[in-house]
Amino acid sequence: MTHPSSALDDTIHQRVRLGILAVLSESRRADFGYLKDVLEVTAGNLSQHLAILEEAGHIQIAKGFEDKRSRTWVTVTRKGRAALGSEVATMRALLDGIGSGQRP
Amino acid sequence: MNADEVRESLAFSEYARKRAREDMGRPWLALVLLASLSVVSLSLTDAATSPTALFWVFAGPVGAGAIALYAYRRNRSSGIDSSPLAYVAITVGLLTLAYTAGKIGFAFQVPVVARFGPAFVAAAGYFALAWIERSRMVAAISFALLAVTVAIISFDLSSQQSKALVFGLYGITLLAVGFGLRMSRKQLL
Repeated sequence: MTHPSSALDDTIHQRVRLGILAVLSESRRADFGYLKDVLEVTAGNLSQHLAILEEAGHIQIAKGFEDKRSRTWVTVTRKGRAALGSEVATMRALLDGIGSGQRP
Repeated sequence: MNADEVRESLAFSEYARKRAREDMGRPWLALVLLASLSVVSLSLTDAATSPTALFWVFAGPVGAGAIALYAYRRNRSSGIDSSPLAYVAITVGLLTLAYTAGKIGFAFQVPVVARFGPAFVAAAGYFALAWIERSRMVAAISFALLAVTVAIISFDLSSQQSKALVFGLYGITLLAVGFGLRMSRKQLL
């Protein structure tokens, strides 16, 4: 028998990474500056989280120049979208389990 | 991971989701409103050769295109891009339904359908938009438009008076939303 929390995905259950995927799942793409503002993290911290998600295949990062400024756009992949849905469902199930008296 | 952490993570992801939706959604409302105004005007105009009809045939798409371009540029500058597919589908569906309702009304000589069918269809379009945006404001606008349209029908006014009221209703709504967009943009800047 395995503990219910073992169903959580280590790559995305971290708070900021969950936030990144939540923003991206609602949009076609978001840029680095927008994610930094919404999630209230430093550029270095955000870069680290994005690198982890990219390595796991949950997001894609495209760097380019617009109006002579460098710009980084981030897009969620199909795998990332599915992982977010599964993670949220697992967390809700854990909370339901707590509500019904099971220990998480 | 304890229960509080799970709750906090869920709440944070919900906040991020809502914030993204809020930052993306608003400009598209004006697009759908303008498209509705155009099709209502077009459908209520009897003769295809009328200068009014011809005006809206060109003015509607040009106006809608201008707002779409504005929305695209604004999204790019704000740093979050929405997929326009759902909104395009609603606008096209709304155009088709409104035009068809108007034409069926004229063909079968059902004045109420001819006069107000497009307005009802437009209200249905707003309900769809409200659902996509999870927006109470859009839902409230759709209820208000529907209620006023029903009131206009029940007054049994002349065709000209009814047209003037319906145009006025949509015109005022468009202006109010335009003003709202301007205010929200000022807050962003």
